[in-house]
Amino acid sequence: MDTTPSYQYTIRIRGRLGATALSAFPTMGSEVRGGETLLNGSLVDRSAVYGLLAQIEALGLEILELRQIGPSTGREP
Amino acid sequence: MLVKCASMTNVATTLPGAPHSRPVSTGVSPAAGLVRRDDLMAALDRATLKKVTVVSAPPGSGKTSLLRAWSARASKDRRVAFVSVPRDQQDARQFWLAVLEAIRQTGAITDSGMRAAEPVFDGDTMFDTVVSELAKATGIVVLVIDDLHELSSAEALAQLDHLLGVLPKSAHLVLSSRRDPPIRLHHLRLADEVAELRAGDLRFTASETRELLSAAEISISDSGAAALYERTEGWAAGLRLAVISLRGHPEPDRFVDEFSGTDRAIGEYLMAEMLERQPIEVQSMLLRTSVADRLNGELADLLAGRPGCDQMLLALEDANAFVVSLDAQRVWFRYHQLLVDFLRLELRRTLAEEVPDLHRKAAAWLADHGDVVEATRQMLAAGDWPDAARLLADHLFSLTLDGQEGSIAALLRLFPAGASAEHPELALAHAATQLVQGRLEDASAQLAVAELHLGSAPPGRRRRLEIAHASMRLALARRSGHFAEVVEQVNLLGASTADGPSDLSGIDAELRTVALMNLGIVETWSGQFADGERHLTEGATLAQAIGRPYLEVACRAYQAFPSVSLATARERGLHALALAERYGFSDRPVVAPALGAVASIETWMGEFEAGERWLRRGWEVVQADIDPAAAVLLHLVTGMLHAGRREHHLAVEAFTAAVQAQSLLTGAHILGRVVAEWLAATQARLGLPDEARATLDAISSEHERIDAIDLGRAAISLAEGDPAAALAALGDVQDMMPPLGFPAYALVEAHVLAGLAYVAVGDQNAAAAAAEAALAAAEPDRLIFPFAMYNAGELLDLLPRHQTAHGALLADVVDLLRGAPVPRVDRERLQQLGELSRSELRVLRFLPTNLTRPEIARSIDVSVNTVNTHIRSIYSKLGVTDRSSAVRQARELRLLAIGRAPSSPK
Repeated sequence: MDTTPSYQYTIRIRGRLGATALSAFPTMGSEVRGGETLLNGSLVDRSAVYGLLAQIEALGLEILELRQIGPSTGREP
Repeated sequence: MLVKCASMTNVATTLPGAPHSRPVSTGVSPAAGLVRRDDLMAALDRATLKKVTVVSAPPGSGKTSLLRAWSARASKDRRVAFVSVPRDQQDARQFWLAVLEAIRQTGAITDSGMRAAEPVFDGDTMFDTVVSELAKATGIVVLVIDDLHELSSAEALAQLDHLLGVLPKSAHLVLSSRRDPPIRLHHLRLADEVAELRAGDLRFTASETRELLSAAEISISDSGAAALYERTEGWAAGLRLAVISLRGHPEPDRFVDEFSGTDRAIGEYLMAEMLERQPIEVQSMLLRTSVADRLNGELADLLAGRPGCDQMLLALEDANAFVVSLDAQRVWFRYHQLLVDFLRLELRRTLAEEVPDLHRKAAAWLADHGDVVEATRQMLAAGDWPDAARLLADHLFSLTLDGQEGSIAALLRLFPAGASAEHPELALAHAATQLVQGRLEDASAQLAVAELHLGSAPPGRRRRLEIAHASMRLALARRSGHFAEVVEQVNLLGASTADGPSDLSGIDAELRTVALMNLGIVETWSGQFADGERHLTEGATLAQAIGRPYLEVACRAYQAFPSVSLATARERGLHALALAERYGFSDRPVVAPALGAVASIETWMGEFEAGERWLRRGWEVVQADIDPAAAVLLHLVTGMLHAGRREHHLAVEAFTAAVQAQSLLTGAHILGRVVAEWLAATQARLGLPDEARATLDAISSEHERIDAIDLGRAAISLAEGDPAAALAALGDVQDMMPPLGFPAYALVEAHVLAGLAYVAVGDQNAAAAAAEAALAAAEPDRLIFPFAMYNAGELLDLLPRHQTAHGALLADVVDLLRGAPVPRVDRERLQQLGELSRSELRVLRFLPTNLTRPEIARSIDVSVNTVNTHIRSIYSKLGVTDRSSAVRQARELRLLAIGRAPSSPK
């Protein structure tokens, strides 16, 4: 059992994501910055991180950066 | 067509009879607008000269298109076996089955003979078969494994890793994956045995981009083409998507301008463009059908809610629009992974309220068409947990017969946490997966939960659940040696086993076969040979009739136990092994009992070398921890061989191991008593009389006289130098009768032990009489082993050759005891000499005795003239002129022994 607290992550993706692609990440907030999309949100554990990466890969998106920001403010149960 | 690209899509969910049971694609689809990428093909040609080629690139890089086009150029000098790993493949066995099928479809193997349609065995043995098939192939075989990232069975990945180490020289491997495969390539890289094609290699060049556009008859300016290339960076999927949108676009250059000007993520942008440019009915169909992993026209019509979808799918494939047909007839289709993921998101976003219902429709259709695993997956996607649990439970028995436990486990993981408590039917599914993992206690607990629930199942379904439950109880009981419970479970299934075979259909026939097999096996192990024989024969016949060769072999493998004569039993064992060979099961654990039985028969007959060869094969295939009953047999034969060679320490070790294996079983093993007796006798020989007595005490019974105990006690007394006590323990030797259906071994042993005791007390006449009686008891089955086990040379020396009616046997035994090299059977010479007739053989066996011709004639009730004719013919066939050289020649050729020449594994 992974009991580590969830962390805030920012994922930088090349290109502006449309509504369809964004719907693949319902728990993440998004923000367009230049020609890039930032996905922000807390991920509950490592499985969630890898699941998100797999989703990005499956959609043929190009990942530019993945960064752990710090412990989540609103702790997931 | 020499090469077929077998895209074994979703083998895991394919049931026999389903229209898509063998998806075969004849290479690349005849899509318009695909350019020949000759440079890349040449690069792949070069790469595949290396042992392993890794094609590693993100989705949409054109891996599959390239590999398919390349495969289509295979020849008989370089055959290509093409395997596509279906989405989220969890079953090692299903994976290797697909690999095997692809290899066989190349036609590189000419002697594969009859093959089982759906053998039930694990990934390990499948893997071995793949290696041996590759080794058998003529010419170069390139095995292409596409979509390797979908393989999530750790077992299969480990085996694939291992495959690299044992790959035959003529075989090459191409691994294609979105990610670098988790295979250790370090050593191969050092040896320059790895080639790699990566995203950069797969990218279209600027000139290829121009070629692609002109092949698709898109008129666009040079600067437009350059801009498109720049924006897509040569990404294959991007270019293909752009081409679809550009084809028929009124102003191609404007499209490129807009595309180049946008900062949208290109995959999503181009897919949205492509979708928008389709007619509305095509858009609607694409969205609604995206819930299924694979489609045919009928399923597509159902999901789209309109007819004519097959024409749309064909048109889309022809337009190279990310739709791929899976079979040569173009009946089954799937969407490119990028497209399907996009469509599913779009469907959820725009038609969310329809999604559960689409899954339900797909589930119903798939269930109707026998694809239980996929139907269950669809129900789970719809959130219909109870329906999914019910469907899975209802088909569990068939799924386990097909060896789909890995898929069952994968489905179980898709249920929400806590589902098992809410749906007790899932307990059966858990039990099925635990049984194959050897987690017998967990399985037993789950079956107990399932049993509680059986009573509350509605009558219409209760029968199916009972069948699944009973079949698993049977398997569990047999594995753990609960022999009495096996019989009980079979009786609970009475309704189906009482039916005549004529009115059996489907599941009942399969269940009946499984029940007969299990019943026959436990009857055999518990010594009820006649019943076991009957049930196993019935089971094998039924298995053959319903096309379950694995079950047929399993039944036959237990028929090599000597219920008639040793020679007959050996014939049956060899027959079972030949059958296993024909179906490709000869290295499966299921043949271990036949190998053990043949090994023991050879050992009984004094053919220690042949026995040892069969035994070695038995140890190679047996799964001792999963099948302790078979392990008991193999340990016993191991001990026999050591005891026969007077390696007493090793014999004690082996017999002790047999006792330990037996202790894993709850029921009494038929071999238990003889194991204990021989362990005690061997312990006594080693000067451990207390241990020997303890061994015998462990099998003593207050109510029953057990021959093995009397024999064991006699052996102990003899070893302690107390022949009188030995004789007392033996009592009236003539009472010694083996259990029904067993060779007369106890009688032979009793006479041998009595004889040795008489030798020790100095009564030579009684000793000689005992020796003659032992030979008489041994003759019909050629039971030479007891003489070797008790080292009866001294006893046999007291028996003058001219005083025995068993001269040939005596000579063979004495040879064996003296450690004389066993004469080799010269088969060539035997053939040159011509077969001796049965009557000639009968006369021949009197030649080593001191009987005269008239005495021989009287013994076999023929005239002296007939005997003379036979003897002349024998002399001429053996190429000799007198009686003593005839005997010598006959002994060399093993013609005197009643059992024929020893058998030998290939």
